[in-house]
Amino acid sequence: MTRVLERHQALISGCISFAVILLTWQLAVALGFVQVFFTSTPIRVAVAFWRELRSGEIAANVGVSLYELLCGLGLACIAGIGLGVLASWSRTIEHILEPFIWFTYACPIIAFYPLFIAWLGLGAPTIIAIAFLSALTPLYANTLSGIRNADRDLVRAARSFGARRRDLFLKIALPGSVPIIVAGLRLAAGRALTGVIAGELFGAAAGLGYSIAFYGQKLKTTEMMVSLVMVVILGVILTQLLSLCETATDSWRTGPGR
Amino acid sequence: MAVATDYARRRAPSIGRAVDRYYGALVSTGSVVAFLVVWQVAAARGWVNARYTSSPSQVLAAALDIARHDDFPHHAWVSFSEFSLGFAAALGIGLPLGLALGTSRRLRLFVDPPMMALYTAPRLTLLPILIIWLGIGAASKVAVVLLGAVFPIIVNTMAGVRETDPRLFQAARAFGASRLDTMIKVLVPGALPAILLGIRLAIGRGVLSVVVGEMFVSEAGIGHQIMNYGEAMQVGHLMVYAFAISLFGYALTIAVRLIEDRVRSWRPEP
Repeated sequence: MTRVLERHQALISGCISFAVILLTWQLAVALGFVQVFFTSTPIRVAVAFWRELRSGEIAANVGVSLYELLCGLGLACIAGIGLGVLASWSRTIEHILEPFIWFTYACPIIAFYPLFIAWLGLGAPTIIAIAFLSALTPLYANTLSGIRNADRDLVRAARSFGARRRDLFLKIALPGSVPIIVAGLRLAAGRALTGVIAGELFGAAAGLGYSIAFYGQKLKTTEMMVSLVMVVILGVILTQLLSLCETATDSWRTGPGR
Repeated sequence: MAVATDYARRRAPSIGRAVDRYYGALVSTGSVVAFLVVWQVAAARGWVNARYTSSPSQVLAAALDIARHDDFPHHAWVSFSEFSLGFAAALGIGLPLGLALGTSRRLRLFVDPPMMALYTAPRLTLLPILIIWLGIGAASKVAVVLLGAVFPIIVNTMAGVRETDPRLFQAARAFGASRLDTMIKVLVPGALPAILLGIRLAIGRGVLSVVVGEMFVSEAGIGHQIMNYGEAMQVGHLMVYAFAISLFGYALTIAVRLIEDRVRSWRPEP
């Protein structure tokens, strides 16, 4: 018994702390510390969650947001990794790209959403564009640094066996930088999710962010909480999946520090 | 490696020759200038609809107009004070909590799961409910900046404390240092690079939060103006405000990066 407890210590304590939070929340409302209008209660949220799950509202919202997220992230992968490879090829290209890449990183992309709406219309294309620009920089930067910091010993060994530049790139630098690129993908996914949800708060007619803004404006706290919980769940699943990818792509390495 | 990959750091000048540095700056400047010229020409020639894209000269004219007629200092001050209050609160909560979580395994077991759930979800989703709780004034923006900025600080402080060389810690304890002493003299300096990285990441989140918060609903501030000009389709004016806030975030990030370099220089490479 104690061994089971020890092995699953993290899981058990995590469950306890979530349970405490939910209980405090429920009790705070039940005992009248806060009004139900402001915070709703876990039970109400659970009931509404079940209702929205059966009516298909959650599936519809998640579907829209996920579609926008994956499109944005996919495009960012293609462009970010492509530009990163290109920049690793030549310093000049890197310097040409650099100001624009860091501008998209420093600037709050959502501020430009009226422009995206003017160019692309209200809805998915606008949100995809925001997610794409939000996710671009981590992918570009990690690809570039992964290729640039390829293992020197491997490069030297390959070169002494007569490898050409193309071989070095395809057989050493690119495979070697996969874990770093996946790490960049994890960061990018977080930024893209923020982009999608925040974009939907403003410039959309569907999706989780839209439903949060919609119910928020109607002051329907319970329904808003349902979508909020769904965003948290989506975020956790996404991050966990990408962490798994990160470990999987990194596991073939051996040697010190791994 | 800290929790967040430090990709925003430029590579150390491995070649280190001045010529190369100037060459890079020259090429970068050239590409920006080329971009501005293409933008200007494309808008002037009607290749793109200048109503939607504006043009560098229009943006410049808008900047002059804003300087003369808009109350820019007022809006900047509103946004700045909201950002600073929220960020100060994030530091005040995030640093002690990160230190506590880094040193206590038991605390970590209980606080980590709900914290990570919040950390992975975009905190901007909380905006509508924060507005219900705190109203449309400055308080809701301060809260959203706090929520946006506090997690990178907590997570990186925690990671920094945990990565501090345990031998230093043990040596300090062996020579009779109290818990507080080891905290101040070993853990905080040891974790400083990670803490600064957390702060740098938090700046970006904080700036984004204040702008989006003000865009969502507000009475004044940079985001408020962006929203107004966006709805009026005055693209030039919108861009001036968006550039201003980007510049603010960028300058702050650079400042922290300079401090990071200074901090890093006295410790040997691992």
